[in-house]
Amino acid sequence: MLEQLLIFTRGGLILWTCKELGNALKGSPIDTLIRFCLLEERSGSNSYNYDAPGAAYTLKWTFHNELGLVFVAVYQRILRLLYVDELLSMVKREFCEIYDPKRIDYNDFDETFRQLRKEAEARTEDLKKSKQVGRPVNDSKKQGHVKKGGADGGNKKKSEAKGGSDDDDDNRAGHNKLENGHSNGHHIETDGSRGLAIGNGKENASVNVGAFDVSKLQKLKNKGGKKNDTAVSDSKGAKADPKKKATKKNRVWDDSPSQSKLDFTDPVENGNENIDVVAANQGESMMDKEEVVSSDSEDDEDEVGKGSAPNSKKKGWFSSMFQSIAGKANLEKSDLEPALKALKDRLMTKNVAEEIAEKLCESVAASLEGKKLASFTRISSTVQAAMEDALVRILTPKRSIDILRDVHAAKEQRKPYVVVFVGVNGVGKSTNLAKVAYWLQQHNVSVMMAACDTFRSGAVEQLRTHARRLQIPIFEKGYEKDPAMVAKEAIQEATRNGSDVVLVDTAGRMQDNEPLMRALSKLVNLNNPDLVLFVGEALVGNDAVDQLSKFNQKLADLSTSPNPRLIDGILLTKFDTIDDKVGAALSMVYISGAPVMFVGCGQSYTDLKKLNVKTIVKTLLK
Amino acid sequence: AVRLLRRPKSNTIVLSGLSGSGKTILFYQLRDGSSHQGTVTSMEPNEGTFILHSEAGKERKVKPVHIVDVPGHPRLLPKLDEFLPEAAGIVFVVDALEFLPNLRGVSEYLYDILTKASVVKKKVPVLICCNKTEKVTAHTKDFICKQLEKEIDKLRTSRSAVSDADVANDHTLGTPGKTFSFSQCTNKVSVGEASGLTSKIADVEQFIRDNVKP
Repeated sequence: MLEQLLIFTRGGLILWTCKELGNALKGSPIDTLIRFCLLEERSGSNSYNYDAPGAAYTLKWTFHNELGLVFVAVYQRILRLLYVDELLSMVKREFCEIYDPKRIDYNDFDETFRQLRKEAEARTEDLKKSKQVGRPVNDSKKQGHVKKGGADGGNKKKSEAKGGSDDDDDNRAGHNKLENGHSNGHHIETDGSRGLAIGNGKENASVNVGAFDVSKLQKLKNKGGKKNDTAVSDSKGAKADPKKKATKKNRVWDDSPSQSKLDFTDPVENGNENIDVVAANQGESMMDKEEVVSSDSEDDEDEVGKGSAPNSKKKGWFSSMFQSIAGKANLEKSDLEPALKALKDRLMTKNVAEEIAEKLCESVAASLEGKKLASFTRISSTVQAAMEDALVRILTPKRSIDILRDVHAAKEQRKPYVVVFVGVNGVGKSTNLAKVAYWLQQHNVSVMMAACDTFRSGAVEQLRTHARRLQIPIFEKGYEKDPAMVAKEAIQEATRNGSDVVLVDTAGRMQDNEPLMRALSKLVNLNNPDLVLFVGEALVGNDAVDQLSKFNQKLADLSTSPNPRLIDGILLTKFDTIDDKVGAALSMVYISGAPVMFVGCGQSYTDLKKLNVKTIVKTLLK
Repeated sequence: AVRLLRRPKSNTIVLSGLSGSGKTILFYQLRDGSSHQGTVTSMEPNEGTFILHSEAGKERKVKPVHIVDVPGHPRLLPKLDEFLPEAAGIVFVVDALEFLPNLRGVSEYLYDILTKASVVKKKVPVLICCNKTEKVTAHTKDFICKQLEKEIDKLRTSRSAVSDADVANDHTLGTPGKTFSFSQCTNKVSVGEASGLTSKIADVEQFIRDNVKP
């Protein structure tokens, strides 16, 4: 049964709800649907699941883009109603006939809805019944097969030399089976005769099949026996195991024999002061510079009458001109397809992941279907405008990315603000960590680095060099230590000496590597950082989707608390190497929902800037 | 294009504020005098040019007002920039009930509006409207005003790092050195109360009447 069906405008006013289904919805499923699905450009997907304490709903929706209406149906997830899609489209059709922008209440629609619902439910009942009629016929045929197989099996078992009292039972069972087999055999014959010529063929086939089945049955029986044996041995083994002490083994990456420790950490710390240290001051970090946006002179090139458009894929020039001047009636999916496909290809050439481009195009199609084409515009320009809108919406952060504000808030509470840098191998975590430290320092924030990359050779030294150049303290414990504990101690040290921010560097790891992801999850859970920053390089292609989704999934699965910490922000690196193939930013933001907080655009301390949404969108659609 | 020396005074009032503060309800109260069957999170702005419902049927001639309800969802923030330049007044709606949990978001939004170049240059008056006052646990407008001033003061220091190269978006707010208060703004910032669900919108209507002169 439906829980509720709503009709509301895109501006937010509810026009009609079904008064018969008076159940108040638990939680706020509609608002959540809008916030996390429709506004996130996922309106192309089929349905949305919402969980609230005490309820699990599924929501389905449809748009009427011309009138700006949204139709949403809510029902309990366990019911899996089949008629919802059909009902929604019928409701859409009927309602649009009585819709008037000036009218606010539509109480007469109650009656229409009641009828539509009955119709839809009746249609589904018919569908269900026709499916059930088909089933008994199939079942009886199957039974016949099995019984026959059983009958043959019974015979064979009799002939086998098996000791024990099983024989008698088998004989009896065999007899029974034989009888049943025969009677069912009759059934099969009658069915077969109904099915004309297939009948005889089936009988023969079933005998052969029966023979085959018998051997299968034998194998299954043996397997079952074996399984029992292994189960017994397992339990015995399990009892033996606790006796062994669990010793921690060193992580061995390949089959090389374990080597003696190659720890070249300089034991003497104080010796570094002899070196002449020049504090790094390379001027203003690019984070604080305003970006110069080039003027929009290249826009509006798609307007009719203003020169040719080489991208146009219309059949004839004259007919397309005529259509655009007259203003086509309603946009159909088939009209949108060529324009959307062209846009999708363009996005993919800009290094957007294929999956993301696909989903985006579906979402834009859902929002444009049925809309009336304004006069003097071509379909491609409408689609482009809609896509631009959608891209701006996705890339605009949905929460504040003002880190300095967060740092000040943490300072008031006398706690250090902890940032953890995670990512796969070689994306630039350590380098960008130093850039962020430099930027924070320029804003009079005291920073401390924590070297929790205890695996890669030279990682600690690298951070130490940065710390020396920037003249900020670094907390390190050398190599081969547990990163989670190092981080914990670093935070305690920062609280002690009053540092405002702790930047935690971690080792790079592949998203599929289970033990490493577990270690990372442990670090995040143990220390509960204020910001989990995923460092991703702009050069990545389709792998971005996989990386981010797996990182998020592992952080959620392996977390011990009810509210798992996920990735809070993205740091995009190597931005200077990609020219205009800026799609990775879009893929990462779409799949994780986290905003891009920093962009690394070079290899010196000042090369860190903010993401300029408008520039990126323009570059993507150029 | 030849332009008149004095542009005709705009009659646009912008309703802004965080998602869930009650802007759409207010919009419909101003237009129809009722909140109808309720609202959901807006995905698009609500626009309309009309005579305020409470003034319909009055003897004297009233000028129709162009009211725009801009969605508060952060993803739709760029929409605000479309309407602010032509605003004769801004009503900033604040949820007085769920005020403290959203304090940071509210103050950042307000800060962004107060430092937009168009708002500063044209000295657009702002009404901070504390909504949902019919609820027992709603905060008073004085409390809200003080809290906002404190938060914006903090924001000034953390956002002061913007360069002075391009003045398009940010201005420093208030007098540097002194604790921020709304009286320091060059444009008039006032505080009022309202209750969208029970049609108590007198403060808002007065603000509109003051700023959209016939």
